[in-house]
Amino acid sequence: MENLGALAIVLAFCFSVYAILASLAGKWKSKPFLIVSAERAVYSVFLLLTTAVAVLLYALIAGDYRLAYVAQHSNRAMPWMYKFAAWWGGQAGSLLLWAWLLSLYSTIIVFQNRRKYRDIMPWATSILMVVEGFFLLLIGFVVSPFEVLMQGKGIVDVGDGQGLNPLLQYWTMVIHPPILYLGYVGFAVPFAFAMGSLITRRKDDDWIHTTRRWSLVTWFFQSGGIILGAGWAYAVLGWGGYWGWDPVENASLLPWLTSTAFLHSVMMQEKKGMMKVWNMVLVSATFWLCIFGTTLTRTGLVNSVHAFAQSSIGHYFFTFLAVGIAATIYLILDRLDYLKTESRLEAVLSRESSFMFNNLVLVASCFSVLWGTLFPVISEAITGEKISVDAPFFNKVNIPIGLFLLLLTGVGPLIAWRRSSWDSLRRAFMWPTVGALALVAGLFATGVHHVYALMSFALCLFVVLTIGMEFVKGANAIRNRTGQNFAAATIELTHRNTRRYGGYIVHIAIVIMFIGFTGKAFDKDITAPVATGQSFHLAGYDMKVRDIQQGENDNYVWSRATVDLYTGGNLVKTLEPERRGYKASRQPTSEVAIWRRLNEDVYLNFAGSEGSKAVIQAYVFPLVSWIWIGFWVLTLGTLVCLIPPKQKLVRTVEPPPAKARPAVQEAQLTR
Amino acid sequence: MTRSFWSLALMLLLTGLCLPQSSTTYVTADIRRVGDRLACKCGSCNNTVATCQMLECHYSSPARQKIGELQKAGSSDQAIVDNFVKEVGLAALAAPPAQGFNLLGWVMPFVALLLGFAGILVYFKRFRKRAVRAESEPAPAIDEKYRTRIEQEMAEMD
Repeated sequence: MENLGALAIVLAFCFSVYAILASLAGKWKSKPFLIVSAERAVYSVFLLLTTAVAVLLYALIAGDYRLAYVAQHSNRAMPWMYKFAAWWGGQAGSLLLWAWLLSLYSTIIVFQNRRKYRDIMPWATSILMVVEGFFLLLIGFVVSPFEVLMQGKGIVDVGDGQGLNPLLQYWTMVIHPPILYLGYVGFAVPFAFAMGSLITRRKDDDWIHTTRRWSLVTWFFQSGGIILGAGWAYAVLGWGGYWGWDPVENASLLPWLTSTAFLHSVMMQEKKGMMKVWNMVLVSATFWLCIFGTTLTRTGLVNSVHAFAQSSIGHYFFTFLAVGIAATIYLILDRLDYLKTESRLEAVLSRESSFMFNNLVLVASCFSVLWGTLFPVISEAITGEKISVDAPFFNKVNIPIGLFLLLLTGVGPLIAWRRSSWDSLRRAFMWPTVGALALVAGLFATGVHHVYALMSFALCLFVVLTIGMEFVKGANAIRNRTGQNFAAATIELTHRNTRRYGGYIVHIAIVIMFIGFTGKAFDKDITAPVATGQSFHLAGYDMKVRDIQQGENDNYVWSRATVDLYTGGNLVKTLEPERRGYKASRQPTSEVAIWRRLNEDVYLNFAGSEGSKAVIQAYVFPLVSWIWIGFWVLTLGTLVCLIPPKQKLVRTVEPPPAKARPAVQEAQLTR
Repeated sequence: MTRSFWSLALMLLLTGLCLPQSSTTYVTADIRRVGDRLACKCGSCNNTVATCQMLECHYSSPARQKIGELQKAGSSDQAIVDNFVKEVGLAALAAPPAQGFNLLGWVMPFVALLLGFAGILVYFKRFRKRAVRAESEPAPAIDEKYRTRIEQEMAEMD
């Protein structure tokens, strides 16, 4: 079976090389049959890689412990869903996931556009297959998932494996990596179309129209992957952290920030024909940051708890990055004449300028995260001394930038396109500002003196009010005209411009997440060694250990504490944190017990024991549930954005003012 | 019988493994204040000595103990931090010191932000200049030529 899997990968590599050559030759020699042949090669790559995936999954689930990958990342006692998840639990398998998803995306793109964009498609296909070929080169010839264990000249069956890392044996880990990869890999598609558009010297925005929904869905997957990872860290690692500014976490955030900037600035190109070069830069940066993130997890460039075992593939990744980025920069610079803006900014106080500031802050945030991630390497290379750049650095640098971005989230949507007046801004922002200031005063009076927390809450309310007023004003206008009730009018309003109002819902989701992040300023914790029957106190809760039990199953042994929570003498909840010791890996993990509520989570970790006492780490995390709620609202907003609107977006490129026209003409003549 | 014995032995071993036995150094407010300035160097987290919650962490647990002992001996916060830097190097700090080359680490994100702002302002200024120039410049000769021709043609029509 392993030979079938390995052969499928090698054949897929050959087909991807063929697809590149046939596409280019077909375009160059104007031979449509070669282009169609290249597209069929893309389908073949997908079928071959699906075969390889099926072989690997069969080996994992059936327990073929002759394969090194299966022996290292699976064992007999694991439930089948974790055996399935072992597919991406190691270096070679995760690269196979990357390659398989890209082949799936390429197949969808080629099929969808088999009769459209015939001039761009051969180039887009070639670019997708170059990326595909790179990953197939790695898993075909450098780190194969189908290597067998050898002793001398004989194949060895070790009988059972080491098992998946116990920390990864959690349900979100079954879906977090594929969803994150759906995001990472998906950004290859808009990038391929953008480059195809540049190569074919097209001045239109077809690449944007084709990939707009694709970019949005990919962005959503990237967001979902990040949030699921945060949820996993919160529920599994035992100390309630959901974001630790680890280099690998940062690597997932970088393309998310640039793609968020892209989703905003792309509207400028669609509506006004502006920022064409900038959009090319953003879509390219997003794709290469995805490759950079993949590089970071696999090369040992920086230390990370999430990194795969180091291997020899680092040189391949760095070469691919260097060549790819250089080619992209050359292409953009060479085609600047085709990326000229179609209209000019009319006023500083306009939606256009707010998009520019929004993009600036997002890209600055991306730069600061990238800079902080790489600074230990840069500093050591220059000064020769190792330094640490941990959470305190990232928090100090990024919290102010994040708050500024939150402010723009509220301000931007209320500024009109082309030109806005101070008077209209005053009318739009007066009540949200008053509300935010009143909230600050109220919170301060009740004892909240944390400056960033006060700013964050105030800005959250400000944004909610500004966006809420937009919905209310729009819905009232429809209600007055049609006589519908308010709910129906709101739905009608949203349906008329799903992109705009879906975007507002996404903004609300970000606000909700910020509420959750802000709760971090008020965390409380205690670590208490307690015997059965003893109690301890934290943040208004009396916690009493009622019982401690032990047991085992095929996969692990466990110890479980039963802890009763009392407030005001009344039993309000019983939690059962558990400690596990996995037999195969001999590694302990915690199964924390969480009482999730909107105002705060009570979080108990059975951390160990001291003699006859259980050591319980207890935490109260205010508002943390809002982060996860925010994700569901973000999902809703994204879905609304994807619904076709009743009103189509119309480009409003304004001619220059009559008096200015001669000067512009003259400038064009003398250029 | 032998199999049951080994199963029981393995279970006891693993239970022992998942229930660490030695004492823990808990984080007091004083320890947290200093520990927040020091990086946990255990290699499996990016937390500080104060916020690393891993029980029996081979770095942060002894570090907290040491902070507590130095505080009892009357050392100031800065002296304790300096002591860690002397032993571990600058890597002991949770964030690089804002001096020498490492100052660049702190200022670059904000310099980038300011440069971006400056870039946008320059863009605005150039645009405004262009608009003003367009309004203030005398009409170019080409307009005059067209105007003359239009007047001629209108006259011919009359």
